[in-house]
Amino acid sequence: MTEPAAAGIHPQSSAASAPLAPTKLQVRDLHFYYNGFHALKGINMDIPEKKVTAIIGPSGCGKSTLLRIFNRIYAIYPKLEAKGEIILDGENILDSSYSMNRLRSKVGMVFQKPVPFPMTIFENVAYGIRHHEKLSRADLDIRVEQALRSAALWDEVKDKLKQSALGLSGGQQQRLCIARGIALKPEVLLLDEPTSALDPIATGRIEQLVEELKNEYTIVIVTHNMQQAARCSDLTAFMYLGELIEFDRTEQIFTKPTKKQTEDYITGRFG
Amino acid sequence: MSGSSKEHIIKSYDDELTRLTGEIVRMGELAVSQLEAAIDVIDRRDERAAQHVVNNDDAIDLLEQEISHDVVRLLALRAPIAGDLRNVFAALRIAADIERIGDYAANVAKRSIPLSMVAPIAPTSGLGYLAELAAAEVREVLIAYRDRDAERAYQVWKDDAELDEAYTGYFRQLLTYMMEDPRNITPCTHLLFMAKNIERIGDHATNIAESIWYQVNGEPLTAQRAKRDFTSNPELTKLGHKQD
Repeated sequence: MTEPAAAGIHPQSSAASAPLAPTKLQVRDLHFYYNGFHALKGINMDIPEKKVTAIIGPSGCGKSTLLRIFNRIYAIYPKLEAKGEIILDGENILDSSYSMNRLRSKVGMVFQKPVPFPMTIFENVAYGIRHHEKLSRADLDIRVEQALRSAALWDEVKDKLKQSALGLSGGQQQRLCIARGIALKPEVLLLDEPTSALDPIATGRIEQLVEELKNEYTIVIVTHNMQQAARCSDLTAFMYLGELIEFDRTEQIFTKPTKKQTEDYITGRFG
Repeated sequence: MSGSSKEHIIKSYDDELTRLTGEIVRMGELAVSQLEAAIDVIDRRDERAAQHVVNNDDAIDLLEQEISHDVVRLLALRAPIAGDLRNVFAALRIAADIERIGDYAANVAKRSIPLSMVAPIAPTSGLGYLAELAAAEVREVLIAYRDRDAERAYQVWKDDAELDEAYTGYFRQLLTYMMEDPRNITPCTHLLFMAKNIERIGDHATNIAESIWYQVNGEPLTAQRAKRDFTSNPELTKLGHKQD
């Protein structure tokens, strides 16, 4: 964990000049290129620890790209290049010496569409743990149960752990994916539009879960749903055309944004 | 940041917000004409016309209900945020202030009825000046609202001190009349209540100015207005003592 960084990268309003919490992820002059296309143009932001940071912006603004850089998913594709620094606990995770295995154990990710592995509910959660740690069967059982409990899924699946995860509902599958992510005890949890495929009840459960999980994890959520950002985040970042336009406390963004572009976007005046 | 001048992608949202502004302005104009009518019936000592003004207040109340309904609808269906949210929030508050202005105008008309039943007294004419100041304030603040002009609203907010001062002077004048001749007490007491109602109209105009300021700037108008209504000062009853 690093100390709060210089002012200006923290949320902008005077009311928010004092940092909410110590910085967990420091993004410094981050540029990203897709086959030469300049997708992120010098992003600087400090993401506070154990808070929910929402990233909003129109399609193609770079929000998902930014999220994906936080756990270097891009590295599996050729011709993608990130420049700059992302400091997690004092170390630059973009540095090639930072092992991918270590990064993935620290930074978990949940995607828009729940993708359970075609195996049992238990194995879905146990799979990642086994990959990173050697645990006895009893300890593994405990870890799986803990993860499912944390993801608010345990009560619904405790009697069918041996059944296929594909039989779960969409909302349950998404919570299973969250359980899978937190089973490795990461420090940062990335959620990429985690409820866009879910109905309002399942969405409500995920949002409630996010509120509970932020006591233990630093959460970054990308969402197209403005009200969702308003409901569940402490901070909101608005991105447009690869730039971070405004980053402030959510309350500030949704009552009095300072930039016209932010106001136009969140009030539905864009384009 | 005063919200955006751009149109919403959904056009009907703009229509609803424009309609809301129109309703507020119309309601405000109705309240001003009620105040002017109230002063007119005092001058004419016209009991029937006074009753008409009192009855007309229902129209303002109805408009307020319509605005409240529209605001709830907008909040529920559009979930406004940022400048739009401040816009809708200000409309709700301003409608409540205008409703009170209408009530005070009706009260003035109501008291003109017993006043017209006693012999005319000289200070009655002084009420017109207070009413003019108050009506000008409300008219001005409505223009500021229509034009989203925070500076103009702030000017109204500051100018209310003049009405407060005029009210204090009028209060003093009425006291003098009452002391001179106890038969003046009944009409002067009515006039005093009417003057207080008009002074309160000015206060509601400043509330509206504050709402406009918040709507445009997203922050409250915090500076303290110099309060010049000294009538609550016990020293005032000792006539001849200078008020500072």
